[in-house]
Amino acid sequence: MTTTADELMIERRGHARSATRRRANFLIFLGPAIVLTVLFFIVPVLIDVAVSFTDLNRSLRITGFTLEQYEKIFRGDRRLTPVIGLTFIYVFGTLAIFNVTFGLILAVATTSLRNVSGSFFRGVWLLPRMSPSVLYILLWLWAVSPAEAGLVNQVLMQGFGLDAPLDLLTSAPIALIIISNGFIGASMGMIIFTAAIRGIPEHLFHAAAVDGAGTFAQIRFITLPALRWPISFVTIYQTLSLLVSFEYILLLTRGGPFYDTTVYALYVYRRAFESGQYAYGAALALFLIIIGVAVALLGWRFFDMERLLQRPRIEVH
Amino acid sequence: MIHWKSGTAAALLSAILMGGSAAVFTTMPASAQETVKLELWSRQDPSGPLRAGNVVKAAERLNKELEAEGSPKRVEVAVRESPAKGFDDDALQLLKVFGIDQGPDMFIAAHEWICAFQEDGFVLKLDDYIAKYPQHFGTIFPSLWSSAKCPDGTYAIPQDAEARMFFYNKKLLREAGYDAAFVDALPERALSGDLTMDELIDIAKQVVDKTKAQYGILHRPNKGPDYIMTFNAYGNDFVDPASGNLLLERDKLAAAFGWFERGVKEGVIPANNTAMEFDAIRKEFYTGNAAFYMYGIWDLGSVAFPTYGLPKDEKGFFADWGWIAGPAAAKGGSPVSLTHPIVYAISASTKEPELAVRLLGHASAADLNTDHAVTTTHIGIKPEQLQDPRYAETWPLARATELLKITKFLPNNAQFGELNGIIYAAIQGIESGRLSADDAAEFVIDEASASLEDVVVK
Repeated sequence: MTTTADELMIERRGHARSATRRRANFLIFLGPAIVLTVLFFIVPVLIDVAVSFTDLNRSLRITGFTLEQYEKIFRGDRRLTPVIGLTFIYVFGTLAIFNVTFGLILAVATTSLRNVSGSFFRGVWLLPRMSPSVLYILLWLWAVSPAEAGLVNQVLMQGFGLDAPLDLLTSAPIALIIISNGFIGASMGMIIFTAAIRGIPEHLFHAAAVDGAGTFAQIRFITLPALRWPISFVTIYQTLSLLVSFEYILLLTRGGPFYDTTVYALYVYRRAFESGQYAYGAALALFLIIIGVAVALLGWRFFDMERLLQRPRIEVH
Repeated sequence: MIHWKSGTAAALLSAILMGGSAAVFTTMPASAQETVKLELWSRQDPSGPLRAGNVVKAAERLNKELEAEGSPKRVEVAVRESPAKGFDDDALQLLKVFGIDQGPDMFIAAHEWICAFQEDGFVLKLDDYIAKYPQHFGTIFPSLWSSAKCPDGTYAIPQDAEARMFFYNKKLLREAGYDAAFVDALPERALSGDLTMDELIDIAKQVVDKTKAQYGILHRPNKGPDYIMTFNAYGNDFVDPASGNLLLERDKLAAAFGWFERGVKEGVIPANNTAMEFDAIRKEFYTGNAAFYMYGIWDLGSVAFPTYGLPKDEKGFFADWGWIAGPAAAKGGSPVSLTHPIVYAISASTKEPELAVRLLGHASAADLNTDHAVTTTHIGIKPEQLQDPRYAETWPLARATELLKITKFLPNNAQFGELNGIIYAAIQGIESGRLSADDAAEFVIDEASASLEDVVVK
């Protein structure tokens, strides 16, 4: 009897220790991440919500709480509709042309090359991502300079006999922001897709080849099905990233000419920091947060990401 | 080994102590001196480094004065330089700094922003101080004081002035077929109201069509004051005289925007003017690739002479270069020019307002202001500067002073800086072909009505 009671006590102590250990582990491993998430994600959102209901102005003074900013959004701001339209074109264009499609083409092309050549080309495509953003855009500004000394104009005028230099910053600004962002975005897709392609067991390709499958058939029936999850991830991640990033656009076109390349995130910046309408900027930014959450949830649902995150049913060794 | 007798030791100790005390007492006035540190906010601006530099120099003069008065206070100036690109960005930054109670004791700003600081209670009212120190402020040109006023009084001290105009390349005009008499008479015709804004476009078009020059008219590629004189030419004053609020008149706005629209349509103003770099624009004009350039007189001293080697002597300069006032909108109308004074202001929360006023008074001394004027080609603030031989030798100043007869200021309205940003966006919209002149007027009215307060629309 005594022995049993002792054993029980030991067992309870063991459980208690294990519960304490679990809590300690939770704090040690997840604590820092939770603190960072709260500090840099949750608190800023709460501050943004609070500021959007004030009249915080250019001298950072709040004189009262108001719904004025939301009234302005829904009634007075005629720029919003074209800005939202442009944002859709920019995000969809960059994503569809570069971040997914071109990233995929690069991954498939460079993995089918010899290892050294493939790595070299991947390295070249990674250069824009590794360059500081200001340097990268300075190169773009030189490339598309409307003067004859601009790289594009030099090539077109000396190589193709064009009479007058082109001014792409004025005539094709949207294409420029899509291409300049796309060159950077494509490299991320390329890396992820390359890793996924490398993970496909090689014997599948050999078996397909023996069965008479050509290169395109192998890509269609082996490679692409294996890339479903990476494509879903890249699509969702890059959509969110493109929605909120504007630094390359600001550096390249300053949002112009006129408002032609002012995407939503840049519009928020221009309102808040160039005009000093901080409360209005906060209200606009709140919608960006809502749109971001909605896009993430839709993507989650559309790409069935829940299945991606399930434990594998078979242990693979 | 030395053995001191106790009496000798005591005497020696007393002597040391007495000597020490005497030394302490003789240095007493120096240790009682109180150093007052005054902070000056100034934009890093190569076109006017002495705006802040003169305040630093003025501290020496003020300290001598304080010493003569027997005051224990001595002033030390600490300059806080902001890297803002322009005075608008600088003012927005400084408003935030004041908003978090980290403002400086004194600051340098473009005059049209002063009422924005006044509206939030950040700036000291100066009327009583100005009256108290006539030796410092009594002779400043009365016209300049109006650029430092808000509805209820004076809040700043004018630091300089300048003149904005259309520079032109006479050589190109002659190459385009205009005779020398016509080319040389342009300044006079502009001042008499005989030359019109449309004729300016015609002349520029002739230059583009008949010479190798690529551009007819260039203007600044960012938000700023000079293009506002075009709006002034078409009758836009932007302030409702009855209420003092911002005023937007649709027809007059559309007429001014129409000038930019015609300029682009005729191939005279480049469609990408607002996308060009400032340095590129200067290079195009000063190297003979543009007929006209709308800017200000200080550019000669700051850039044209030192960087592009335009002749520094008056005769040599006017042989191939010149400038005209902004022409009238219609024949017989009023020509325009704009001056954009920079001002000194004092924080409402400074602990030493009296010292700050006296310091800025010394910084406004004729000789110091002339140092600034002649090195950066800005117009002085006091008539006595005209007697300074250095000022007389700097011929662009004397010649540009002719334009002061017709010059206007930007409105001293707390919201004008923001309105100017909207106007600039509309110019960009027109030149890049996104807006018509009527659309641009509508855009300015819409944007201003939505984001600014109490805008009067007619």
